[in-house]
Amino acid sequence: MLTGNSNTGLAKNTSYKVVLPFYLYAGIALLIATVLTLFSTPAFLQHYFYPNTLAITHVMALGWGTMMILGACHQLVPVLIEQKLYSDALAYLSFFFAAIGIPLLIAGFYQFDFGWPAQIGAVFINAAIIFYLINMAISMAKSKKENVHAVFIFTATLWLIITTIAGLLLVYNFSYNILSKDSLSYLPLHAHLGIIGWFLLLVIGVGSRLIPMFLISKYSNNKILWRIYFLINFALISFIVFFLYFNITALYFIPLTAIAIALFLFGSYCYKSYHERIRKKVDNQVKISLLSVFMMAFPLTFLLIVICLLLFSVSNIPLILTYGFCIFFGWITAIIFGMTFKTLPFIIWNKVYHSKAGLGKTPNPKELFSDKIFLVMEISYLSGFILFAGGVLISNEIILKIAAVLLLIAAVLYNGNVWRAVTHKPKSHERNNQ
Amino acid sequence: MIICPNTKISKILKQNSDALEAIISITPKFEKLRNPLLRKLMAARTSIGMASIIAGVSVETFFEKLQPLGFEPDRETEPESNTEKPKLPAYFNSLSPQQIIEFDVRPIINSGEDPLSSIVKKVKSIPQNCALKIINSFEPTPLISLLKKQGFDSFVNKVDDETVEAYFYKTGVATVQLNESENNSEGWDEMIKRFEAKTETVDVRQLEMPQPMMAILAALEKLPEDKALFVYHKRIPVFLLPELRERKFDYRIKETAPNEVHLLIFKD
Repeated sequence: MLTGNSNTGLAKNTSYKVVLPFYLYAGIALLIATVLTLFSTPAFLQHYFYPNTLAITHVMALGWGTMMILGACHQLVPVLIEQKLYSDALAYLSFFFAAIGIPLLIAGFYQFDFGWPAQIGAVFINAAIIFYLINMAISMAKSKKENVHAVFIFTATLWLIITTIAGLLLVYNFSYNILSKDSLSYLPLHAHLGIIGWFLLLVIGVGSRLIPMFLISKYSNNKILWRIYFLINFALISFIVFFLYFNITALYFIPLTAIAIALFLFGSYCYKSYHERIRKKVDNQVKISLLSVFMMAFPLTFLLIVICLLLFSVSNIPLILTYGFCIFFGWITAIIFGMTFKTLPFIIWNKVYHSKAGLGKTPNPKELFSDKIFLVMEISYLSGFILFAGGVLISNEIILKIAAVLLLIAAVLYNGNVWRAVTHKPKSHERNNQ
Repeated sequence: MIICPNTKISKILKQNSDALEAIISITPKFEKLRNPLLRKLMAARTSIGMASIIAGVSVETFFEKLQPLGFEPDRETEPESNTEKPKLPAYFNSLSPQQIIEFDVRPIINSGEDPLSSIVKKVKSIPQNCALKIINSFEPTPLISLLKKQGFDSFVNKVDDETVEAYFYKTGVATVQLNESENNSEGWDEMIKRFEAKTETVDVRQLEMPQPMMAILAALEKLPEDKALFVYHKRIPVFLLPELRERKFDYRIKETAPNEVHLLIFKD
């Protein structure tokens, strides 16, 4: 009779203090990656197992992609599951260990020295992921709602910890020979655990919620999402089995086909939500996120060609390099560019204006960053991306240099825009209760 | 008997007890009127106008149901105040959410105990510059007069027919801070005053993301130019804000508790 308290009331937002360090760190990692790329263009004419290339890949995968996702998930997951983040302290610990571990590991790659600094770096990164995993697991266990997006995010995190543990073993394998083969031969396994298990599952899990939301679309289809979920996990598990126990290249078409179907389903999911949108004018941030979904087709095509060539025992190194580049500098970077400015300004707005929004007019959260700078960044990035991919394919260093400069410009503009949002000061009603 | 939107339900029930079934037939939400204790508490405080808002039907529905029982509707009289809009005193502008201490007494009442002693204990523990917010299922009239003697001012906000928030705060502190927000002609209180009796209400607290945004945008589409939309939300809907600007709406936001946010949305 006297109910009415069914309202859980536990939807409190994660503090910006938890989230911002991850965002800022990721931005700086991108800047470092583009600077390294600019000075490492000759490396992109070599084999992919090359110190500079490995270093850049890990700055992009860990410093840029993973740190950004960790930050965003600390904010987003509590909203999705309607449950407060279990522990801020675990989030800080996660940041602290990753922030120290990542540069140690990357310095190891760059100098191709896998002595104690790189080993400690790898241990720290694993510790950071474990703290994050625990935090997510407890937060989600406390929520009573089953949420397909949360399942994607959590499974992705499990794959991430498997990836980083595999990475840790590979680092130790350089010095101690703990695995049956050399570290290079395990690289495809480690790479795809991360790319498919962590990044792809996560981007689809998060994107399938955020893209319809930002388009203000009523479209939702959990059935398709569950299918995608099983396809991706099936692909990954079958790939691991084939990789470790069979040495037949043709078998790789099975996981590849599963991934292709999953990507097609996700593409059509995005298309349908675009089609049923209420918001007629789509902003630049959502546009680039949708473009990123489309950009998933590039690595898929390259992978298809790489496997086809492998059937004839031909290993095309530039093609494999382009494949990796399209994933980290293409798909992942494009969606982060879009989603950063669809989340960060709102987090800052909440921090600056939540107590002032009752006093008078407050600025639009979108005004916290410059859409003009975003547009220039977008153009510089996209042209840099296309030129660089082309440069790798035809092994032309001059094109690579020009492209690297364009990517660097994009990274500088990105950081500038992030900084502009983060340092935003209240505009109206200075006289407040502070 | 002549009935108008301001006629209290208790008066109607007194006149003709058959009206009880007629009213319950409008919506199952009124089932609780069968309980004599609750009937006593609620019916005396609820007018037809208020009840129609709770039921989500027009006043006319009540008239139609009651006419066969010999009640004569008076359609001329306007409802006094369309809805019970929270008009938080300006003092609350100067409080941060941390300064409002929440105390939900419903579990205590549900377990059959008298919450008074725990409330009095809670009141004593409140630091200076803080307010106590008591969440109850009805207006705690005895408590208001009791605490008034101890120097506490109160403010009652009826969230819905099952939730009543009562705020208690020391008056001495209020006067100092009041002046500060008085100069502000665009603040929450002023806007609430401006749109008094010209607001429509939507409660999205129970909705899962992203439905709150959809519900608010849908409500705004039907909102007449001169009216404002009052929203009950669990958090500040930041992603809604650019959409409001795009549709030329302005807004004021009030955090009454860490997970209780009120919004007033109106044409810019």
